[in-house]
Amino acid sequence: MTQIELRGVQKFFGAVQVIKDLNLKIADNEFIVLLGQSGCGKTTTLRAIAGLETIGEGDILIDGKPVQHLKAADRDIAMVFQSFSLYPHMSVYENIAFPLRATRKSKTEIDQEVRSVAKTLQISDLLAKKPSALSGGDMQRVAIGRALVRRPKAMLMDEPIGALDAKLREEMRAEIKRLHIKQGSTTIYVTHDQIEAMSLADRIVIMHEGVLQQVGTPDEVYSQPANLFVAQFVGSPVMNVADAAVTEKASAASVTLGDAAAGFEFPRTLLSKLNGHAGDALALGIRPEGVLIRRDAADGFMAVETQIVEPLGSFDIVDLKVGSNMLRARTKSGFISGPGEKVFARIDPTQAHFFDKASGKSLEVRL
Amino acid sequence: MAAVRTSSEITFNRVAIVAVLLVTIIFLAPIYWIASTAFKPRNLATTIPPTVVFQPEISPFVKLFTKRSQLRSPPSPEEYAAAPWWERVVFDGGEKIVRDGKGQVQWSGYPSRFLNSLIIAITSTVLAVGMGTFTAYGFSRFKVKGEADLLFFILSTRMLPPVVVAIPMFLMYRAVGLNDSHIGLIILYTAFNLSFSVWLMKGFMDEIPKEYEEAALVDGYTRMEAFFKIVLPEAATGIAATAVFCFITAWNEYAFALIMTNRRAQTAPPFIPSQVGSGLPDWTVIAAGTFLFLLPVAIFTFLLRNHLLRGMSFGAIRK
Repeated sequence: MTQIELRGVQKFFGAVQVIKDLNLKIADNEFIVLLGQSGCGKTTTLRAIAGLETIGEGDILIDGKPVQHLKAADRDIAMVFQSFSLYPHMSVYENIAFPLRATRKSKTEIDQEVRSVAKTLQISDLLAKKPSALSGGDMQRVAIGRALVRRPKAMLMDEPIGALDAKLREEMRAEIKRLHIKQGSTTIYVTHDQIEAMSLADRIVIMHEGVLQQVGTPDEVYSQPANLFVAQFVGSPVMNVADAAVTEKASAASVTLGDAAAGFEFPRTLLSKLNGHAGDALALGIRPEGVLIRRDAADGFMAVETQIVEPLGSFDIVDLKVGSNMLRARTKSGFISGPGEKVFARIDPTQAHFFDKASGKSLEVRL
Repeated sequence: MAAVRTSSEITFNRVAIVAVLLVTIIFLAPIYWIASTAFKPRNLATTIPPTVVFQPEISPFVKLFTKRSQLRSPPSPEEYAAAPWWERVVFDGGEKIVRDGKGQVQWSGYPSRFLNSLIIAITSTVLAVGMGTFTAYGFSRFKVKGEADLLFFILSTRMLPPVVVAIPMFLMYRAVGLNDSHIGLIILYTAFNLSFSVWLMKGFMDEIPKEYEEAALVDGYTRMEAFFKIVLPEAATGIAATAVFCFITAWNEYAFALIMTNRRAQTAPPFIPSQVGSGLPDWTVIAAGTFLFLLPVAIFTFLLRNHLLRGMSFGAIRK
């Protein structure tokens, strides 16, 4: 049973503030992913929890007890580094046994535990080898084994599969998830890869320039982004964002993107839901799958011209010219043959997001 | 596809091999000269042109380790027959081995000087490398105020020829009673080697990824434990290289040893040439002393050769 809580955590490197008033509660057995670009403070946050960085202000609580003044060794937390950090002069066996030796356990106990962890991770045949003789994936397994063997209160992982190639990364991702379900320990995982975050996390914590942007399940951060940063950071292909002007039409609302001549039709309720924000500077966000395309004219659809088509295998991404803006739509593969085609498009109101341009915050309009 | 070597490449390779051989011969020639002279009969040591083929003798070594005096008259046949083989080779050279009242063979000054050299060089190497390693670790891992200035200051002790300070050092040592003492030379050599050791070890420490210690810290070890269990083994290559250099410096040091010591703590370097002056110079004995003096460094370096050649960290960190 391990809960971790960050309360008003601040961290400075000289004059630069890398963590700004971070508050976060992590429940027992939860798999939390800290997601953000490099330099956003996610690794520093992780290292602060591990005890490898001191914090300027705030509290870090593990099971309700403040630990910010404890040494890393006394926090009973394990960490997997991006570089794996296997001790090169020790065999795999010694590497995994190393954290146990610090606990002064008996030799037979250590041996049993090392072998059982090795069995779980399917690395029993590697125990006698030196780290230099291992492949990237095996190094990663050993690093995880070294973290697991002590049965720590929590596991911290700093981009543990970032150094692997794409195929191996996918395999290891599944393996980490399987292991988490089996072992069930509180895990904090740092990555800049949103696909990794979406596939692994119970909840994703998105950070930008030291500030927490949004905490939520993968589905929440994807379908209800709290601000423009989250909207554009999560999801691939990236969400379309364009300046939008909302006007009232006879029976509906019309949303004009940028300098486009005509607007997309939206339900009239949009006006009331915008709650007076309609006159403000607005931005519309729509994911490519929220842009609907058909070949023949229909009610509510607007004529547009296709530009570039990116075939991505299972689907295509088509650029549509709307005024001087480009709207990217997701279509089934081969639906659009190439640039210059005339098609009809509309924006699915249920998938549209409206943001206040000045603050970047979502206006929480759900149609 | 197999690489095809052009004729110019082959020629270049051959020239390179010849050049390397030539350089090797030039470098090894003095060693050969010393080693061969150490086994030559005395009358062949100074012939012109040099004698290359000769019957090797052990007599220079016997003479090196014993106290001898000139024979006024040749020994009687009985005396000669009763003498052990190593005494006869001395008789053959017109000398006899000095014995005390009880008939015990008197040793020359060489063994004790050799022992002094070993004690002083090993102790000062251990101290310089040990302190250097700790200092380098501190500079490498922690934020030290004025780090660059401090490191420059440490190096500045090497910016003048050490002999320049020989006289003041001698006066200071005499005032505090450190001259002609083992501890005096040990302090001197340690101080002299320390700056070198700090700089060299700093380079090696910087190469050891910080993540290793951080992993150990998270694994439940203190920083000190992490240093001894993780950093030191990783720094073995650097420590070996630094130790070899410090040892060679301390082992071969001549000027301070000559000025600061005369008997009790005298090392081999000032002792060996001092033998030139007694009677006619016996170059074979000097060569034997020098030859033996070469061996510890050669053995030490040979033992550490794997560490000297091995790469620093071998692929356990992915960068």
